Amino acid sequence: MQQFLDPVVLASISSMDLVARTVVDGFMAGLHRSPQFGFSQEFAEYRAYTPGDDLRHIDWNVFARTERMFLKRFHGDTNSQLLILLDASGSMSFKSGAVSKLDYARFLAASLSYMGSAQRDATGVIVFDDRVRNYIPPSSRQGQLVRVLHAIEAAQPGTTTDFSKPFLHFQQFLHRRGIVAVISDFYDDPDRVIGNIEPLRYHGNDVALFHVVDPVELEPKFTDPVVLEDMETKTTLEVSPEYANNEYRARFQRHIDALRTAAQRSGLDYTMMDTSRPLDQGLREYLTLRQRKM
Amino acid sequence: MGFLAPGILAGLIAIGLPVYLHLLRQHKTTPRPFSSLMFFERRVQSSIRHRRLKYRVLFALRALFVALLIFAFARPYLPFTSVAAAHGGRVIALLLDDSFSMRQDNRFQRAKQDALSVVNGMRPSDRAQLISFGGPTRLLTNLTADRSTLAAAVNGLEPADGASSYAEVARAIRSLTQSSKTAVEAHLFSDMQKTSAPANFADLKLPDGAQLVVHAVVDSAIPNFAVENVIAPRRIFSAKTGTVQATIVSYSDKDATRRVTLLINHHSIETKPVVVPAGGRATVEFTGIDVPYGLNPCEVDIDSADAFPEDDHFYFAVERSDPAPALFLHEQNDNRGFVYFQTALAAVNQPAFSLQNASYAQAASSSLDRYAFVVLSEPAGIPHGLEDALHRYVEHGGSLFVVLGPASTGRVPVADLVVAEGNSSPRDGGFNFVARVDSTHPALRSSTHWDSVRFYRTESVQPGAARVLLSLDDGRPLLLERAIGEGRVIVLASALNNIENDLPVHPVFIPFVQQTTGYLGHTESATGNYVAGAFYDLHPSDTQTDAPVEVTGPHNARLLSLSESTRARTLPLEQEGFYDIRRQNGRHELAAVNPDRRESDFTVLPPQTIQLWRNTGNGNRGVENDSDGGRGGNELWWWVLLAALAVAVAESVLGNRHLDLKEGT
Repeated sequence: MQQFLDPVVLASISSMDLVARTVVDGFMAGLHRSPQFGFSQEFAEYRAYTPGDDLRHIDWNVFARTERMFLKRFHGDTNSQLLILLDASGSMSFKSGAVSKLDYARFLAASLSYMGSAQRDATGVIVFDDRVRNYIPPSSRQGQLVRVLHAIEAAQPGTTTDFSKPFLHFQQFLHRRGIVAVISDFYDDPDRVIGNIEPLRYHGNDVALFHVVDPVELEPKFTDPVVLEDMETKTTLEVSPEYANNEYRARFQRHIDALRTAAQRSGLDYTMMDTSRPLDQGLREYLTLRQRKM
Repeated sequence: MGFLAPGILAGLIAIGLPVYLHLLRQHKTTPRPFSSLMFFERRVQSSIRHRRLKYRVLFALRALFVALLIFAFARPYLPFTSVAAAHGGRVIALLLDDSFSMRQDNRFQRAKQDALSVVNGMRPSDRAQLISFGGPTRLLTNLTADRSTLAAAVNGLEPADGASSYAEVARAIRSLTQSSKTAVEAHLFSDMQKTSAPANFADLKLPDGAQLVVHAVVDSAIPNFAVENVIAPRRIFSAKTGTVQATIVSYSDKDATRRVTLLINHHSIETKPVVVPAGGRATVEFTGIDVPYGLNPCEVDIDSADAFPEDDHFYFAVERSDPAPALFLHEQNDNRGFVYFQTALAAVNQPAFSLQNASYAQAASSSLDRYAFVVLSEPAGIPHGLEDALHRYVEHGGSLFVVLGPASTGRVPVADLVVAEGNSSPRDGGFNFVARVDSTHPALRSSTHWDSVRFYRTESVQPGAARVLLSLDDGRPLLLERAIGEGRVIVLASALNNIENDLPVHPVFIPFVQQTTGYLGHTESATGNYVAGAFYDLHPSDTQTDAPVEVTGPHNARLLSLSESTRARTLPLEQEGFYDIRRQNGRHELAAVNPDRRESDFTVLPPQTIQLWRNTGNGNRGVENDSDGGRGGNELWWWVLLAALAVAVAESVLGNRHLDLKEGT
């Protein structure tokens, strides 16, 4: 099964639904010892009823046996909504191999959507670049997964990345607390990125940043001078291999470190997704991190 | 620097191709998409400039390659004059004619004075070499700047008796040019005889860049008379039978009467007047010559009435002797071969040999040393004692002629050659004929028509180490020669009895016997006339190398040291006069040497011919017209082609690197 999680293999599967199921089922097959991992409500404790409590939460089975009213409480009572923010800017179309960053991001988004839908969480997606391109409001209704996957599949590389405009817009849609997964390459100043995303955290959301990077972005391998063209701004720059092999890598690494640090400082989960790695590795890393926090 | 094919330089237009590729057709670098440039900086542009610089280097290499290729085909050369200038001085060849004609009046002194004046005019940086060409060219000095050495060599030179050749002069200049790698300035000091010019003008070709300066010691011909040739018998066997015929040549425009005198042993024998026509020849004949026994130096003189008396005599040698005894050995009852052989030997007017007939038994007790040669006919039953005596006779310089017959099986006596049994006759009962004749051998030099002789039976002799002189059509040898000790053995593989073959009744038989016996009896080389500069063969037989030969020159001086007398194979006959040659076996020879009579013709080369000759070396034009500069010199195309090859390799390496770059991007 592991071989089907290879991004290159996933790219050959045309149906996003099948991609998501392949990833998640295979992923779950490897997590049989703790199948309860997920985003939905989980049982936490029983609490005695006090006047004013919602009668819908009374465990009537316990009342029938004990004639005492207890409320059944769950973990993550407010995380019943999964919203995926998918960056579809021009830079996301970069690829050094068979899978572009956008493809990888779509696989990841589809997999998350499938996992959320499997646990009957309300799942939604927002596709954005410098503005909101597509928005599927979170819902747990029948057919929601199909709509979400369709929106993910239809995502095409757009223009530049601008977190300020779309994230201001997101806040209008987020009425319920839940999990917000931001999938992007975060080509912006880390403080500005976190500054735009951080308000989501204030609404009580669990925000997870999935930083999609291509291995060439991490370690460019130029043997000769080359002219590079920015995929978003279309500007060109002549680059020497010495710079790309040394200074660029250091600067990019500093960018990652700054992003991770800023995310941790703001209470955001940060996971770097290397498009050359199997998709489940990134997911496992994130869920393990999340389990520790629970 | 010049070009031998300057028209090809038009191909330099081809340089436009790399110009178009590199400059007009600008190389465009395809931008490579990248997700974001926010981590790159503008200051890295210098690396691209470096890459563009590499393209410029590639362009330069390509343009250079095309240019070098075109230059190579245009055949560039560096004029020798430039090379000489680079060395800082001239290379001068002093070519002094010391031939026989330079003995006339004070020609040679004038030539030497001219040569000395050139030597004195040399600059310190000049180098010169003195070469004489009166006969074979001789390098009298090395290439030197020492004027005293050159002057001493010039002063020490005396005219010789050889003949000059301007072809040799041109060859010497070419050789000096090649060895010195520079343009040679050749100074020719000569009487510029027309007869010294080669028949083919191309032989006078001077090397490119060579400059020829002619110092002619005379400018016009002088009338002259000379004894051009003498025909006399080498050997006389009876009194008052010799005839001497002398040819007098005139190089004058007037008829003249000359008195011709025959001298024998330096004594005047007879004088006859002869009218020599202008520019023609006259012949005088002296008959009934009687000379004493032995080798006699003889001479034909004309009265000295011209400006060059040195050519008014002609030396020759005549030997008076009795016919040498020769021995014909045969079986007791076989006399046919002797009859035929003796008849052929006596067919000439004065037979050189008196042939004696003896059976094996008769000869067993007689001494063989007094015979000029021995004929051994059908030696099947030869006694061992006689064979041993014959072997000793041959080893000490004797000659043996072995004639094989039907009973000759096993081996050839003395010659030690194997005779195969059987296959003596053609299978169909027919005959064989001679298919190959070694006409270079003295015994067969003028015998022809061997193809009409039929050989019905021929013994099959294995040649071994012997030289095959005649071969039959089936490949078997018919006549062989083998050297044993100081002597020689000739083997005829068929009998002379007119039964096994019909050779004795064919016309070729008489010259064959005459020449073979003359060769075996050493009469063909007893005396002879030679032209000055010729070589005398001191050891005609390969086996005589250790036998000393004593040679006395025209001035009664021994010409060979003791070691040279055994090792020298040839002797150059450079001086006019008589050479007395004595061999260890007592054989005495006298060689008469006369200068080449072409030297007697004082007609000078026309100035036009001399000018044409000078023009064959392009350096002369450079001297006469400085603007030309000459086209001769060291050709550089090979070096240019090598440079083009190196550039091509560099271009390939650099081009491949750029190609890798493109594929990488």
